[in-house]
Amino acid sequence: MICAVVSARISPNFIEKIYCVRLMPREAEALDINIVADFISAACMCLPGTIVAESGDFYNLETWRVKSILGRDFKYPETIAERTAIEMAHHISVAGRRLIMDRERRDNHDG
Amino acid sequence: MDEEKTAVLLIRENPSKSPDPYRINELRGLAAAAGYKVMAEILQRRGRDQRFQMGRGKIEEALSYHPHKLIFYNALSPNQVYNIRSQYSAQVLDRFNLILEIFSSRASTREAKLQVELARLSYDAPQVKNALALKKRGEQPGFRGAGAYEQSMYHDIRGRMAKIRSELECVQSMGEDRRQKWREQGFDLVALAGYTNAGKSTLMNSLTGSEVVAKDQPFTTLSPTTRALEVFGRKVLLTDTVGFIDDLPHFLIKAFRSTLSEISEADLVLLVADISDPIDLLRRKLIASHKALWDCEVTAPIVTILNKADRLDEDEASLKAESIKDLAPYPVLASAVTGQGLGVLEECLSQRLQPLKEYEISLPYTSEGLSELSRLYETTELLAVSYEKELIVRLRGREETIAKAGLSGAQLR
Repeated sequence: MICAVVSARISPNFIEKIYCVRLMPREAEALDINIVADFISAACMCLPGTIVAESGDFYNLETWRVKSILGRDFKYPETIAERTAIEMAHHISVAGRRLIMDRERRDNHDG
Repeated sequence: MDEEKTAVLLIRENPSKSPDPYRINELRGLAAAAGYKVMAEILQRRGRDQRFQMGRGKIEEALSYHPHKLIFYNALSPNQVYNIRSQYSAQVLDRFNLILEIFSSRASTREAKLQVELARLSYDAPQVKNALALKKRGEQPGFRGAGAYEQSMYHDIRGRMAKIRSELECVQSMGEDRRQKWREQGFDLVALAGYTNAGKSTLMNSLTGSEVVAKDQPFTTLSPTTRALEVFGRKVLLTDTVGFIDDLPHFLIKAFRSTLSEISEADLVLLVADISDPIDLLRRKLIASHKALWDCEVTAPIVTILNKADRLDEDEASLKAESIKDLAPYPVLASAVTGQGLGVLEECLSQRLQPLKEYEISLPYTSEGLSELSRLYETTELLAVSYEKELIVRLRGREETIAKAGLSGAQLR
């Protein structure tokens, strides 16, 4: 699986500045909440600010529960800018996944 | 004589989620808007019951009041509706159907009626499909089996939906043409959006001096209404739209696409919020409004009007505005009833509208050229006109107005 992180400064309806974009692949046996949370924590390491993720990513758990699992500030998207940032991360993760799949296919073909 | 409609409100809360006192208030407001007299409110914290949504005891308690209808906050599945109706002979409604009932009673224009019908059919279609699938299961005797007639019902619904969609597309393209024409006439399009009962229509009345129907109840406005306004020399068309509400199914938003396109195609959106609401509720309503604006694919700048500021003292209002600044772009404290803050709002509006560009064009000395000049006098801000070999006009206006002038032989210099 792949986790894409967009670190940005936002106003309520616009992304003001993108500081960095991070793409992290990882192999996992299952999609357990702890594995997902651990993966997201690792991907957001050293990036300041509040983590914003879609509710489906954390199995619709309540915000306070996700906060306690992650051990840092967390919220589900509320504003247009937060949704735009998440959409951007989605596009990046899909593109990243395609690149990895293509590389694997090419390696298999060469091998 | 019309008998008063009565209802009992039922709400089931998930035990794993925090209690939410605002839900029942909202449901009470919706029931009142639909004309129901609420006899009792019943709340239960438990997991979802597969057969009745809530516990049987609570449903029996609700029926002991002998209401006309049981209104559930939670969405009811077709099976749950069937079970409650057959076991208790009770009429039931869920929140979504209650909203549709309000919409259908208030829909006055053809467009609004079509949108409500489409929303109802979109809701009914999967339920009819499900009912047919259940009916076809097992033995199918000739009489009352799922024969050709029942089967065609689903196809009839799909056909009607397709017909309404094509009619609405026609309405939508008419709306697009209308907006294009308005832009060519030099108008900036501003839409009023926000949670239901936030005071959008009252604000429109105070800003434009019009007399649009405005009441203290949800969903007073269903069809968009547009009025002209002049803000610091700029011609603006202000459009009042249908209010948003939390947890709306996406197909309802889809059904109201042609109305909501007034928001998505606007040059500026005025997001109206009721600042007299408690802070948690205010945040929730703003979050729901942001979600709806995201679903409408709004890209225009947003100005937030914190309406009903006259109900709070100055310090309290500023404190509240500060605590929601992450959800309220360019907040302006105002009161549509007293007129407080409307001057600041107009100033903010003129600042946030895209500045008009300056152009220099030449027009031929023909009758078309001169009539174009007369049109430009009305639709743009003419800065200078010099009569040389050709008419040289320096003006400030919208791109669309200049593009239209180009069709009548004007040359951009």
